Amino acid sequence: MPRPEQRTITFTIDGLEVQAPENSMLVDAAKHGDVEIPVFCYEPKLGNPVGACRMCLVEIEGIPKLQTGCSTPVKDGMVVHTQSDRVKIAQQSIVEFLLINHPLDCPVCDKGGECPLQDITFGWGSGVSRFIEPKRHFVKPLELSPTIAIDRERCILCYRCVRFSQEIAEDYQLVLLERGAHSYVATFDGHPYEAPFSGNIVELCPVGALTSRAYRFRARPWDVEDAGSVCTLCPSQCNVSLTVRDERVMRVLARDNPEVDDGWLCDRGRFAYPRLGGQERVTEPLIRDGGELRPVSWERALEEAATGLGRAGKSTGALAGGQATGEEGLLLARLMREGLGSPHLDSRVAGALPLELHRALGDPSLQAKVSDLEFAHAVLVLDTEPIEDAPILDLRLRKGVRRHGMKLLRASSHQLLGEESARELARELTAAGEEIVVLWGERLTAGPDGERAARALLDLAATLSLAETKGAGLLEIPAHANGRGLREAGVLPNSGPGFEVVGEDGLDAPGIAAGLIDGELSALYLLGVDPLAGSDWDSARWERALERASTVVAHAAFLTEGVRTHATVVFPAQAYPEKEGTVVHPDGRIQRLRQAVAHPGATRAEWWILADLARRVGIDLEVLNGAVASRLLFEAVPFYAGLTLEEIGGKGVRLEDRRATVAHS
Amino acid sequence: MKLLFKDIDEPGLCTLEVYERRGGYDSLRKALGEMSPEEVLHELEASALRGRGGAGFQMGKKVSFLPKGSMDKYLVCNADESEPGTFKDRELMQKTPHMLIEGIVIASYAAGTTRSFIYIRGEYALPADVLDAALAEAREAGYIGEDILGSGHSLSLVVHRGAGAYICGEETGLLDSLEGKRGNPRLKPPFPANQGLYQGPTLINNVETLSTVPAIVRIGGAEYAKLGVETSTGTKLVSISGNVRRPGNYEIELGIPSREIIYGLAGGPPEGREIKCWFPGGSSAPVLTPEDLDVPYDFDSLGKAGSMLGSGAIIVVDDSTPIVDLAMKVAKFYRHESCGKCTPCREGTNWTVKMLERIDSGEATPMDLDIMASVQEHIIGNCLCVLGDAMAMPIGSMIAKFRPEFEAHIEAARGRNGLGASTPIASDAALAAQGALESELPPRGELAAHGAGDQAPGEHRGAAGTHRGGA
Amino acid sequence: MTVPAELRAEIEAHMANYPDSRSAALPALAAAQRVHGWCSPEAIDQVACVMRVTPAYLESVASFYDMLENSPVGRHSMYVCTNISCSLCGADALLEAVQDATKDDPDEFNVRAFECLGACDIAPMVSVDGVYVGPLAVADVPRLLDDVRAGRPVLPEKQLARRRVADPEAGT
Repeated sequence: MPRPEQRTITFTIDGLEVQAPENSMLVDAAKHGDVEIPVFCYEPKLGNPVGACRMCLVEIEGIPKLQTGCSTPVKDGMVVHTQSDRVKIAQQSIVEFLLINHPLDCPVCDKGGECPLQDITFGWGSGVSRFIEPKRHFVKPLELSPTIAIDRERCILCYRCVRFSQEIAEDYQLVLLERGAHSYVATFDGHPYEAPFSGNIVELCPVGALTSRAYRFRARPWDVEDAGSVCTLCPSQCNVSLTVRDERVMRVLARDNPEVDDGWLCDRGRFAYPRLGGQERVTEPLIRDGGELRPVSWERALEEAATGLGRAGKSTGALAGGQATGEEGLLLARLMREGLGSPHLDSRVAGALPLELHRALGDPSLQAKVSDLEFAHAVLVLDTEPIEDAPILDLRLRKGVRRHGMKLLRASSHQLLGEESARELARELTAAGEEIVVLWGERLTAGPDGERAARALLDLAATLSLAETKGAGLLEIPAHANGRGLREAGVLPNSGPGFEVVGEDGLDAPGIAAGLIDGELSALYLLGVDPLAGSDWDSARWERALERASTVVAHAAFLTEGVRTHATVVFPAQAYPEKEGTVVHPDGRIQRLRQAVAHPGATRAEWWILADLARRVGIDLEVLNGAVASRLLFEAVPFYAGLTLEEIGGKGVRLEDRRATVAHS
Repeated sequence: MKLLFKDIDEPGLCTLEVYERRGGYDSLRKALGEMSPEEVLHELEASALRGRGGAGFQMGKKVSFLPKGSMDKYLVCNADESEPGTFKDRELMQKTPHMLIEGIVIASYAAGTTRSFIYIRGEYALPADVLDAALAEAREAGYIGEDILGSGHSLSLVVHRGAGAYICGEETGLLDSLEGKRGNPRLKPPFPANQGLYQGPTLINNVETLSTVPAIVRIGGAEYAKLGVETSTGTKLVSISGNVRRPGNYEIELGIPSREIIYGLAGGPPEGREIKCWFPGGSSAPVLTPEDLDVPYDFDSLGKAGSMLGSGAIIVVDDSTPIVDLAMKVAKFYRHESCGKCTPCREGTNWTVKMLERIDSGEATPMDLDIMASVQEHIIGNCLCVLGDAMAMPIGSMIAKFRPEFEAHIEAARGRNGLGASTPIASDAALAAQGALESELPPRGELAAHGAGDQAPGEHRGAAGTHRGGA
Repeated sequence: MTVPAELRAEIEAHMANYPDSRSAALPALAAAQRVHGWCSPEAIDQVACVMRVTPAYLESVASFYDMLENSPVGRHSMYVCTNISCSLCGADALLEAVQDATKDDPDEFNVRAFECLGACDIAPMVSVDGVYVGPLAVADVPRLLDDVRAGRPVLPEKQLARRRVADPEAGT
C-alpha cells in the first residue's frame, strides 16, 4: 500500500518563511518555523483531527474566519498569523472558556507541573478570568477502573480519551454521556473501564482528569527524573520513559517510537512496575540448604554454583529467556561452550530448527518491519495471538485495518500444512495485493511438525514473493521478549553468534528436559526462565527433569514455581529498569536498555555473575562493565560489526536497514 | 401566487389519488421522461432557488457540487425542523407529502443520487406516519424504486426518525445522527457534497426546498425566478408566531415588506400592545425592532438590516415581555441544545445563562452586560458549527438594542434583592426605562421561569456514579 | 442475552434499511424504549446484542437525545413546549398546571418542559404521546388528562391534525 509521500512547500508564518511537508497540519508545519500553536484535542496518533477544543485558531490570509490549525493542511504560499490581535483574543477567550468549569486545584492535582492546560493558560491565556458563577460539580474522584481514577470536574471535554477507546483500542467502552455543558466521560452503566490498553488515556489526558491510581500523590514533576529505556516484558519491546524518584520507578510512560510502538503502551507494561520494584523481589543470593532456600553471601552462592556446574561440566544444560539481554546470552553461551564444554543451550521454547532453517527464516530480505503491518495489503496472523504475545502489535493491526483497509487473516499451522488449504490461504492473501506480511509465532515450529511447518512457511513466502516485494515479509513473534537477540547471540544448540557453526550440535530445550530425565545431563542453568512458569512449556515433563537435576542454578527476580521448588542456587536477577545492555526487537531493531534505578538489595548485574562464574570454572571473559559486554557482543555477531551503543541511541537501529545502508555505501 | 399552498387544504391531498388528480407527479414524469439530468439541473439553477432551511445557499449550485461518477451518492432531506418558531415543513409533510417525495425523486435524478433519506425530527410523529404511508403508495406506483417509470433512474427512500436534538438540523450533525451516532457536527471541510453520509457525496436539502422542485419543473426555472426579487426568487413559506393575532404559515412572495406579513397577514400584536422586537428568521436571527418593519422580507434586505431570513420564521414579541426574560429563553435553549463538542459554544452558552440568572436574581451590575456582550463576541466565528453563533447573535443584538432595559432590570432586581443601586448615578435612559418597567409591566414575567432541560449542571445522573437508581 | 423476538425483528428490519446497519441505532433504541418504558441498561443490552455494538456506544447515543429516556418515566409522555412562542402565549403557566395536576401520578405521566416542538401556530401546546394539541388554556388541563387516563383521543377539537393552514389564500 502506498506510504504517504512528502513534498516540501514554503509558507509564511508570523512573517517567517518556513519550509514544511505539504499537507501537514498547520500546527505541525508551524513547528518547522519554531512557532508553537497551542492544542488540546489535537493528537495525530488518534486519527483525523476533530477541531473540538478550538485552541489552535489561527488567521490565514484570504480566509475571513479564523481557522483551526489542527485541521488545516498547509499549502504552498499560505500566509498564516498566530500572533495577531484577533488570534490572541481568540486564544485568550478559549482559555477563559476552558477554565470556566475547571476547578483550578492545581496545588493538589497530580498533573500540576506537567499539565498542558496549565502551560497553555500561562502561555496563551489572559491571566484573568471574568467568570464568577458557580462551576459544575461532580463527585470525585471516582474509580474509572482498578488502575485509573477519573475527576470529572477537571475534564475539559477534549475527546482524547474517548477517541482512544473508540478509534485506537476499538473497545468502545469509554464514551461521552449527555450533551452540551452536561457532557461527561463515562462507561456503560458505570462499569469499570477494563481493557488491555486503558492506561494510555492517562497519558493522553491534557489535564488531571484521568490519573493513574498507583501514581496518585506519589510524586510531583519537579521531584522526579525521566529515564528512557525499553520494556522487556514481551517481544513488543515498547520504548518507555521511566519516572524515577529516589531510586524507585514511580511510573512508566510511553516513549513514542513510530517504528516500534506508535507511542502506545499496554497496561501490562505500564502498570507492572510496582511489582518489579516490590517486596516479593529476590534481592540476595540464595542456596538450597536442607530443602529450603536460604540467603547467603555472594561468595558462598557463586562458589556453590561454580562447584555444581564444574562437577557437571558438559552434562550441563542451559535455558535463557525472560528479560535476558543479548550480552547476557553471549556470556552464557561462552560459559557453557568454553567454560563447561557443553553445547546444550537453547533460547527457544519450541526446540531447535536445523540451522539452515534459522538462516532462511532470518534472511534479511524476508524481514518485515512493524510499520509494514500498517501499510500491507494483507497480514496473515499465524499461530500467534498478538493481544497476548505482543499486545502493542494488536493496535498496529487495528490501525492497518481501520485506516488503510488492510485485510487481516488468521490461520494456524494446520492450514499451512495442508496442501490445498495452504494454496487457498495464498490465494486469499494475494487477492488483497502483493504487499503481504506474515506475522507468525514461534510456536508454529514447535512439536513434531515444527520443522515441516517452518518449511511450509518458507514455501508460502516464496509463493507470495515476499523477499522480492518491498513492504512485504515475515515477522516472527518469539516466545521470549528478546528471543531474536538471544538467538543472534548464539544461545542455540546448533549455532554460535550470528548463526555460525561452532562445533558439534547440542541438545535443544526439549532435548535438555529429556537429557535431565534420563540422566545424560545433571545440571541446569536457568537465565531468566522458569520452565514451570508459562504456558508454552511442557510443564509435566519439566517437573520431572528438574526433580532429576542435581544442580539447578537460576537467575530469578521472583521465586516462581520451578525456582522455588528446584533451584539449588538462586541469583537475584535485575528487572529491566535496573539493566543495561541490548535487546533485539522481532523486526530486527536492536534497542538499548539503560539503567534507570539502582539494584535493589544485593542484586548484581547478570554479566558480572556470568563473568565471575566463568572465572571460577577457568576462563576469563574479560568483561569489566556493561559497555564492555556490549562491545563483546557487537564483535561476536558478524552482522553487528561496527555497532556502538551511541549508534543505537534512544530509538534503536534496525539491522536490516543498517545492512542495506552499509551495502549501498 | 401559491405554489406550495396551491392545494394544501384539499381534503385527502396526502393520498396519492388526490395528489395525482391535482396534477401531482406530472413534474416527475416530465423531468424523468422528457428531460436529461443536466436539463433538470439547468432549470434548478435558472430558478435561483435559495435553500429554505436557513443558510439560503442556492440549491442548483449545491446539486452541481456533487462529483460525477458511479460512486454511491446520497440525497438527504433535512426534515429536522427545530429552529424555534419554525413549523412550515411540518405543514407540508403532513398535508402534501407526495410533493416532497416528488421533489426528492426529481432532485435525485438531477444529482445522480440513488439512495435518499428523509431525516425527520422524532417529535413529528404524525408527519412521519403520513410520509411513511405516502412513501408506500409512491413505491407501489413506481415513483420510488428501481428504474422509475422506465427512465433508468433508481432511488430508494427511507424515512428516518430523529429522537430530539436541535443540533441534528445542522447538516453534518444530521449526517452523524443518521449514521447512528451522537449528532455532533463535523469539521468542514470536507463538505458533505464530497464526503457526507457514509463518507459518500451527499446532497442535503430542506423539506420546503425540495417541495418547491416540482413547481420549478412545472413552470420552468426562468418563470420561477420572476417571482420574488432578484436575489431572493420565488415564494416562501413564513411561519409567524408569538404575540400576533393570526399565527400560522403563509406563503408569500419574497421581497414584500415585513410589516405586511406581521400586520397584514398575522394581524399584528394583540389589542393594546406594541411590538417590542421581532425575530425575522427563527430564534437564531438577531432581533429587529419596530423601526425595521418596513424592511423587505428577503435574504439580502434582512441581511443588510443586521439580521437574517434564516428559516423564514417570524417571532413577534410585544411590549409585555421583559427583554431579560426573552434573552434567558434564548440562551437556555441554546445551552440545552449545544452538543458540547466545541469549547466556545459549550461553555459560552452555559456562561451566558448563568450571567442572565445573576442579572435576574439581582446580583449583577451593568458591568456584567459588557462581559456578556464580550462573551458573545468571543463565541461568534470561533465555533465548530453555527450553533454558538445562533445564540450569540440574538443575545448580542438584544444587549445592543435594549441595553437601558437590561440596566434597569439589573437595578430593579438589585433593589428587590436588597442590594441597592449598583452605581450612584444611573444613566437617564436606565432611570427612564426602570420607571417604565415598574409602572407599566406586570409582575416579574414567568417567561424565564422555566426552560426545558433547565437543570443545574452537576445535579444530573452520573455525577455520583450511581445514576441507575431505578434499574 | 434473550431479546424479545418482536423487538429483535423490529431492530433487524431497521438495520436492513441502511447501507451501514449502525444507522438503525435511533429507531432501535426507540423501539426498545417502547418495550421497556425507558432506555434501561437491559434495554440497551438487548439493542447492543442485536446490533452488535457495545452497550456503551448505545448509552452514549441514547443520552444525547431528548426523546430517549435515561431513567424510568411515566407511561404517557406529555411534552409541554416552553420555547419562546409558546411561552409568549402562556406556556409556563400551562406547564405548571400540567405538573400540578399530574404530580401524584408519576407512573402514568411523564411531564416534561420541551424545546420548540414546531407547532407555534397552536401555542401554547402539548405533545401527548406524539399527538399535538393546542392552543391550550390552563382550564383545558383537567379534560386533557381525563382523556389520557381514559385512553380516548385527547381534546380532538384541539388536535393539530385538524387545523387548516392560516394563509387565507391557501388552496383547498
